[in-house]
Amino acid sequence: MNALFTALLLLSPAAAPQTAFPDRVRKVIEANAALPNGSYQTIAAKLYLHRDPEWCSRRLEELLQSPSGDMFWMFPVTAVAYLDRGQLSPSARNALRQSWKTYMPYRGDTENHWLMYYVSLYLMSQLYPNQPGNTWYTGKSSAQNFAESEEYLLHWMKLTTTIGQGEYDCTHYIGVYLLPLSYLAAWAEDPQMRLRARRMLDWIIADYAIDSLNGIYIGAHARTDDTQVLEKWNGVSSDFGWLLFGLGYPLPGYSYYALFYSVASAYQPPEAIRLIAADRSRPYLHRELKRTRNRWRFTDVRNAPVYKTTYMTRDYAVGSDQGGILQPIQQHSWDVTWALDDPRGRRNTIFSMHPYSSTYELQMYFTAMPDFVTEAVVRSKKSYDSPDKFLGGSPFEQILQDQDTIIALYNIPSATRFPHINGFFPDTLSRFEEHPSGWIFAQGGNTFIAYRPLAPYEWKPVSGGGRRLLSPHLHNGTILQAASASEFPDFEAFRRAILALPLDFQLDPVPTVRFRSLRGRNLHFTYGQPRDFSQWKLFDSPYLQSAPGGRLLTVTHGSQHYTIDLRSLLP
Amino acid sequence: MFWLNCLRIFAVTTLTLSAEPHRLFLCGAASKGYVVGAQLPPSGLFTLTARETWDHLGYNHPFLSSLDYDRRDPRVLYLAAGNGCIRSADGGRTWRILTSWKVTELQDVAVDPHHPETLFIALPDGIAVSSDDGRTWNHADSGITRKFTKTIRIDRAIKGRLLAGTELGVFLTTDNGAHWSRAAGTPEMITAIEQSPHQPSEWLAATQSSGLYRSLDNGSSWQPVPAIPAGPTLYKIAYDPRQPRRLAVCGWGPGVLVSEDNGRTFTPRNAGLPSTRIWSVAFHPDHPGRLFAGVHEEAVFVSGDAGLHWTRRGMEGSIVQGFFFVPEARP
Repeated sequence: MNALFTALLLLSPAAAPQTAFPDRVRKVIEANAALPNGSYQTIAAKLYLHRDPEWCSRRLEELLQSPSGDMFWMFPVTAVAYLDRGQLSPSARNALRQSWKTYMPYRGDTENHWLMYYVSLYLMSQLYPNQPGNTWYTGKSSAQNFAESEEYLLHWMKLTTTIGQGEYDCTHYIGVYLLPLSYLAAWAEDPQMRLRARRMLDWIIADYAIDSLNGIYIGAHARTDDTQVLEKWNGVSSDFGWLLFGLGYPLPGYSYYALFYSVASAYQPPEAIRLIAADRSRPYLHRELKRTRNRWRFTDVRNAPVYKTTYMTRDYAVGSDQGGILQPIQQHSWDVTWALDDPRGRRNTIFSMHPYSSTYELQMYFTAMPDFVTEAVVRSKKSYDSPDKFLGGSPFEQILQDQDTIIALYNIPSATRFPHINGFFPDTLSRFEEHPSGWIFAQGGNTFIAYRPLAPYEWKPVSGGGRRLLSPHLHNGTILQAASASEFPDFEAFRRAILALPLDFQLDPVPTVRFRSLRGRNLHFTYGQPRDFSQWKLFDSPYLQSAPGGRLLTVTHGSQHYTIDLRSLLP
Repeated sequence: MFWLNCLRIFAVTTLTLSAEPHRLFLCGAASKGYVVGAQLPPSGLFTLTARETWDHLGYNHPFLSSLDYDRRDPRVLYLAAGNGCIRSADGGRTWRILTSWKVTELQDVAVDPHHPETLFIALPDGIAVSSDDGRTWNHADSGITRKFTKTIRIDRAIKGRLLAGTELGVFLTTDNGAHWSRAAGTPEMITAIEQSPHQPSEWLAATQSSGLYRSLDNGSSWQPVPAIPAGPTLYKIAYDPRQPRRLAVCGWGPGVLVSEDNGRTFTPRNAGLPSTRIWSVAFHPDHPGRLFAGVHEEAVFVSGDAGLHWTRRGMEGSIVQGFFFVPEARP
């Protein structure tokens, strides 16, 4: 009996090591204090640990001789300013203060840029109050800078908690949302602002927790990158999965976002959110309402709604958005991702997409002029104009998700730059079979996957491992059905079950599919059909609930109940 | 009769020649290798010195689209910048951001010559106006659908009349921006609008893909200029203030096109330029035939003969959004 009880304790998410969080924070800080590169993060880590203040002062003055980096300069320097606590030399402190007069950071053009910018300006104006405009690069006084920053931060918080985040579920940029909020939670003198920051941390961390599988961010993303879209572990979000929840694996050396989060408030989310991240004992369906990035041209709607769906199990997750161009360049619309004991260096996902590239997309989301904008994007986002890319949304893709079934349909005009779709299959699959029925059967981890291309295709190799399904047909589609291996006696039984499912489709005049899913749901989806999203909430699942406009998110896990309430904190 | 003709020539010359010398400013950025967060070479606001070199003024800034000046005091400049509308009271050396988080990525700025305390800024989401030298701002774009506004110009001859170049074409207001209406015959995706310095009722508009358009009725209605076909993006228009029938347009592909017959015909003047990807052109009001061109990520080129011959003149590797001539401030 005692042995059984002990085993149950060990298996229970509630047995996760709560006291380990401070240790993980310390590890991140110590690792960064030991870095040889002499960057702002090393200075911040050493100041936090009260080490080598002479070196910190000397190195800071060296770095401040040529400031650059815009808002990516602002937040490290802000942290150093607050971690000073009398350790820096007067000369270094003066150099830091002067840099906010002599260097004008660019405010940027994304939601994360502005959060870093205005949190930094808020805190620096607070640190140096009552100073006139000629002492700041803005030309505005401390009070004016502070007021403007505060106003923007309240506006952003309200927008996020009423119509949804614009740069949502970003595998990399989650770091630059968490660290500024960590700053405010630690260093804002206004107790209401500190409280707002903690609740926004709860909000964003809960959003991540429910869409993560063993610390890996899954499903649809506003932004991800060429690496993490295939190797789902390999990004900043995994650092935070490990740091916040003790799940998965951090990046080697830890990201500097984790460092700056840790040296500020190192905010630990409440137990209810940790349980949501950790407990995968029961499958759940979760829906979210987000918004697009600002659309400047070609539309009357500044921020269109984004409808996200995630189906989560212990072994895999299937996630999606509704399709379309919801974000520029780095959008990821759907996939199945499976759990691995150690996902590091391994690609553990399958999906299809249309590689779309056009000045139409770029001019919709950027203010740039047409001739140079694609070339300018490719300089930093090198895959953007590539036919074999796996990153990005398309105006010609529409997606229906029902639990762990995906139907993705494509209706691509012939004049489109890349008139084909790509599908990704990793080389880590333990099974891979192309069945004469047209289905592709695969197994990744403990997950069985059935993938049905709706048009002919060929295979191309993928750099770094895996294969690309290339289907050069303008009317096209993909059906995907996932299941846990534990649901079936063996793989053959899964195959038989899939083959027994009624499926009827046609691609002309537009793709349309009738399919009975493995869960017994009769799905009928036609490209271009009207869809009713009127009942969609900001968050909707057994664990998270939030109505649009509410500024209120309720978090429930078992007996744990937690409310993230910003109603009285936001105008 | 002879003396009357002399008087007429003098009057016309006086009207078309500058009464005072001008200082040349440039809005540009060293764009190669720059993305947000990267190291930025000297970029932003420059002025041409007497030594014919470019002097960098104020802060480094990656996105400066345009500038205008206060007619009461030409040392006061207003810059349309990524960070907002910026005011400099000393010819560009020190800056103050006038706007807040509510506006961003300014595309253009125009100071009302009739009411110099009034400023208009063209935004990705419309138009904003300040009537108090930039202290406070309000949106003033009622009637403009699809709000992206690339350029804004104030009619120097008719008070209260402004033209805006937007996604859906040229929009016109006669009440200082309180209400706007779409001009007749306007093309879409306007990139530039300019008023003739010789005939105030004449305007030209450049477009992203529809070529060049002209209005002869103060911007109320527009017709295509047949000499420039639709297709490539045209970025800037430059009237020659000293030569009534000469004007230039530029774009990617066409390069620099110069007309000596008020737009009836255009001639490419690209010989000696390293490419035909041209962001900006402008005629110097003080020097006959002196034409500037900003060649994409190459340099500024100058011609003394309206584009027949070019000389490379600094700003290496830059994108030049515009050349601006501001009267020299009187001491």
